[in-house]
Amino acid sequence: MDKIKTEHLYFYYGKKQALWDINIAIPERQITALIGPSGCGKSTFLRCLNRMNDTIPHTRAEGKVYLDGEDIYSPNTNVVELRRRVGMVFQRPNPFPASVFDNVAFGPRVLGLYGRSELADVVEASLRSAGLWDEVKDDLRQDALSLSLGQQQRLCIARVIAVKPEVILMDEPCSALDPIATLKIEDLMRALSKEYTIVIVTHNMQQAARASDFTAFMLSDAQRTGQLIEFGPTAEVFTRPQDKRTEDYITGRFG
Amino acid sequence: MRRAFDEDLEALQNQMLELGSMVAEALARSVDALKRQDMEASRQVIRNDPKINEKRFAIEADCLRLIATQQPMARDLRSIAAVLEIITDLERCADYAAGIAKITLMIGKEPFIKPLIDIPRMLEKDLSMLDRALKAFVERDVEAARRIAAEDDDVDSLYDQVNNELITFMLRDPRTIQQATRLLWVAHNLERFADRVTNICERVVFTVTGEMREMNIQEPEVEPQ
Repeated sequence: MDKIKTEHLYFYYGKKQALWDINIAIPERQITALIGPSGCGKSTFLRCLNRMNDTIPHTRAEGKVYLDGEDIYSPNTNVVELRRRVGMVFQRPNPFPASVFDNVAFGPRVLGLYGRSELADVVEASLRSAGLWDEVKDDLRQDALSLSLGQQQRLCIARVIAVKPEVILMDEPCSALDPIATLKIEDLMRALSKEYTIVIVTHNMQQAARASDFTAFMLSDAQRTGQLIEFGPTAEVFTRPQDKRTEDYITGRFG
Repeated sequence: MRRAFDEDLEALQNQMLELGSMVAEALARSVDALKRQDMEASRQVIRNDPKINEKRFAIEADCLRLIATQQPMARDLRSIAAVLEIITDLERCADYAAGIAKITLMIGKEPFIKPLIDIPRMLEKDLSMLDRALKAFVERDVEAARRIAAEDDDVDSLYDQVNNELITFMLRDPRTIQQATRLLWVAHNLERFADRVTNICERVVFTVTGEMREMNIQEPEVEPQ
């Protein structure tokens, strides 16, 4: 079952073309990794999936992006609701300068959940899902910025989970983390993929190889920025890629 | 950025080729010692076998080191996986050579019941197939690998020929049964050797294409009575 599907997706920053004719079907409740060299359009593509690029002026998307069969670029789309359904975790953990509790409760409060015990339940459930509960339960009032970077990133994941999304987009979520914190995030992704569709951009090919179910390889050439070269089950892409350009990239023979 | 890794891969391949020559030499010596009924030369082949085993383990360790340190992908990964398989086949090939040497010791100095004709032919075919199969691996030559694998049929027919001939001897004169059975085992080892070379050919195809497929599968034949 496909959760997200794009058809002939092109993207432009002003006149600069950044994605070229992306056609992909991202399976539900699986982890899909986007890999490719810098400037290949993988972050741009990720940010098209919840219209995060709308926040950048003079940008334009062409083509279709379907979430459960509905075009998210149609004029009737409620973008705030879209971003609730398709949450995002960024490269550097970005907790609000507030308590652990308030960070996780932020989204539910925005959505109108005020009851003290309901909020407490959502916060606990979200922190548990993010694998952080045991580490913070004794002091939910502590400043989120006093946590380690790895804990902060799991807090950001808890913050996304708190609004009950369907898809979680992750833009290099481990690039600021040490190997142990990275493995914790990867384990967490694995657990979360039972409930959520996860799309992750990573520069770390080993991470894509060990932590994803499907891998998409993107590449730019002189004429066309941001092409999807190959998409398939991760085990196949890393053992017998179909396209020579994928082979060259993953074996480090690129350029 | 990946020059060091390329050099490592080439060194690994050279080690494998070296193991291949050790195996070829062992087989050639074992059959030569049989022909000349040279007990000392046969013992030498048996004594040399542990060196071949050691070499195989050393290459295996190299493969594991490269997997651990370089995290190879795609074709690189397949070629290291292929080397791991090939060295196992080569090591088994060496066991066939040692097996022949042991049979020579059993036959001892008793005169042959017949001149050895097809056994040296099988040897020649085995060695030629092995040599070319390893070359096909180095050159990533899928077509050559397929052709070499097909030649396994020639070795099989030589084996059938030896088999029929020795059975005729045994039927005619039961006193030949002991030696004939032993010679049959020699031929059997040489036949299995070629099967192992076919496995190497399969690994060439796998390395290049990623396809895992048995070559030269034969329907079990029932001999007409």
